[in-house]
Amino acid sequence: MDQLLQHLANALIMGGTYALLGIGLTLIFGIMRVVNFTHGELYALGAYMMYFVANMLGLNFFLAIGFAIFAGLVLGALIELILLRPKRTADIDTTMLLMIGAWIVLQNVETLTWGSVAKSIPSPLPTEPLVIGPVSLSWLRLLVLGLALALIAATYALINRTKLGKAMRATFQDSGTAALMGVNINLVYTMTFALGSSLAAAAGALLGPVFVVTPTMGDLASLKAFAIVILGGLGSISGATIGGFILAFVEELGAGYISSGYRDAMGFIIIILVLLFRPTGLFARVERIG
Amino acid sequence: MLEIRNLVCRYGKVTALKGISLKVERGQMVALVGANGAGKSTTLRAISGLVPAAGGQILFDGEDITRASPARILGKGIAHCPEGRRVFGQMSVAENLEMGCFLRSDGKGIAADMAHIFEQFPRLAERRRQIAGTLSGGEQQMLAIGRAMMSRPKLILFDEPSLGLAPNIVEQVFEIIQTIRAAGTTVLMVEQNAYAALEMCDYAYLLETGTMALEGTGQALIEDPHVHEAYLGGGLSH
Ligand SMILES: Nc1ncnc2c1ncn2[C@@H]1O[C@H](COP(=O)(O)OP(=O)(O)O)[C@@H](O)[C@H]1O
Ligand SMILES: [Mg+2]
Repeated sequence: MDQLLQHLANALIMGGTYALLGIGLTLIFGIMRVVNFTHGELYALGAYMMYFVANMLGLNFFLAIGFAIFAGLVLGALIELILLRPKRTADIDTTMLLMIGAWIVLQNVETLTWGSVAKSIPSPLPTEPLVIGPVSLSWLRLLVLGLALALIAATYALINRTKLGKAMRATFQDSGTAALMGVNINLVYTMTFALGSSLAAAAGALLGPVFVVTPTMGDLASLKAFAIVILGGLGSISGATIGGFILAFVEELGAGYISSGYRDAMGFIIIILVLLFRPTGLFARVERIG
Repeated sequence: MLEIRNLVCRYGKVTALKGISLKVERGQMVALVGANGAGKSTTLRAISGLVPAAGGQILFDGEDITRASPARILGKGIAHCPEGRRVFGQMSVAENLEMGCFLRSDGKGIAADMAHIFEQFPRLAERRRQIAGTLSGGEQQMLAIGRAMMSRPKLILFDEPSLGLAPNIVEQVFEIIQTIRAAGTTVLMVEQNAYAALEMCDYAYLLETGTMALEGTGQALIEDPHVHEAYLGGGLSH
């Protein structure tokens, strides 16, 4: 029982960042119909920016997170403008290949820039854990959960309360009619890709200090993001949010009760099971952004 | 007010419009009729900037808008109420109307126009928080019309506003369009229900597979033997 509580607490903490990762990917797919294989590289970018600003420049931890998010926004916008905008009318297979190419290039650039040795980012918080009854939690992980939840809330507010969010929802539902309403579809696409990418970078910045930073960390992040998005139903933000927490719980329980080697396999298993039994995702009744 | 000169539009290898010309004068109601696939929707989509012109010119108030973006064209005062209604099915009635004035930022004017539309369409007012996808076809058409009006257009394009609606609702829709026109908005309407459209309009064009076959007053087209035979069912008048 005590062990279960500890697992649940761990899962809850990971779930927040997984949800961020999934929301970013599902936004991009839902609105642009682009299968974004660079998502994990944006996650790695966030972690490296964190390392660069907090460790190498020695600046404030929170400032580093903000910088990582900003870097994700900029790189996302550039990928959209340079690679995707010229291919706006291309079919989904073409953009998929393009994104696979970009994924490989980005990963190699990371290896060249930072080397293949893992980097670690020290936590600015006290290292002795917070103990509540049988559950022990590190302060850093609690901070990660808090920031992830704040970013999720901010994303929901952006989509449901702002004019840009309304334009994104309209474009998601019917891009031609959205254009007739005066929505600048090109701008919505760039902003969507930038926003989705910045969420991936945020997830990387939050988890970088929890684990270590390596050039290939993005591969697993991409896989997990796809698992979350498939679980939640393509294009569903609430589905991706719940999907992120479900993946975290399944991983944690798989690692705790089957074997710790199964942790990262759980994502694959989920993808296979969902595609076999519920290809529209667990919650897909109506696809709805927001 | 609107003038199209030798407009050519293509979808890949298919040439949907082979150099058509038409004119809409301020305050008029102009009908564009023709069979399915003649190119009526393409004409409206080209005016709105959704389909690029492969040739020819579109002038609005003397200004060339042939290559302008949909947002700019809307900003100039042309609203488009698309075929099949195309309301945002997952947004509420009120949000759909807000989408209609996406380019406007005059809060007070928007509130007044929204109130006016709810006055005109009491069924929408009752359902303002309801998700648009759950409205009936007639209600969705009213919403699409209201949404187009929210931009305060000078010219409004209607693409088959009666499509798929029950006869009594069709009548209501046509009444609303006449009210809009009477209030001073110029109307260009595409209709397959040719008789009703020709009866209502000041001037009409007949489109046949991408070319303008005929033009004249509504009455002249109704009396034209070819139109009568091919589009009005051939029998005695309705
Ligand atoms: N998106 C499209 N892609 C390819 N061909 C199209 C497309 N839309 C319309 N067409 C073709 O263009 C022609 C005119 O279509 P349209 O303007 O929709 O006719 P109408 O509105 O008069 O029924 C038709 O032959 C139609 O098949
Ligand atoms: Mg049509």
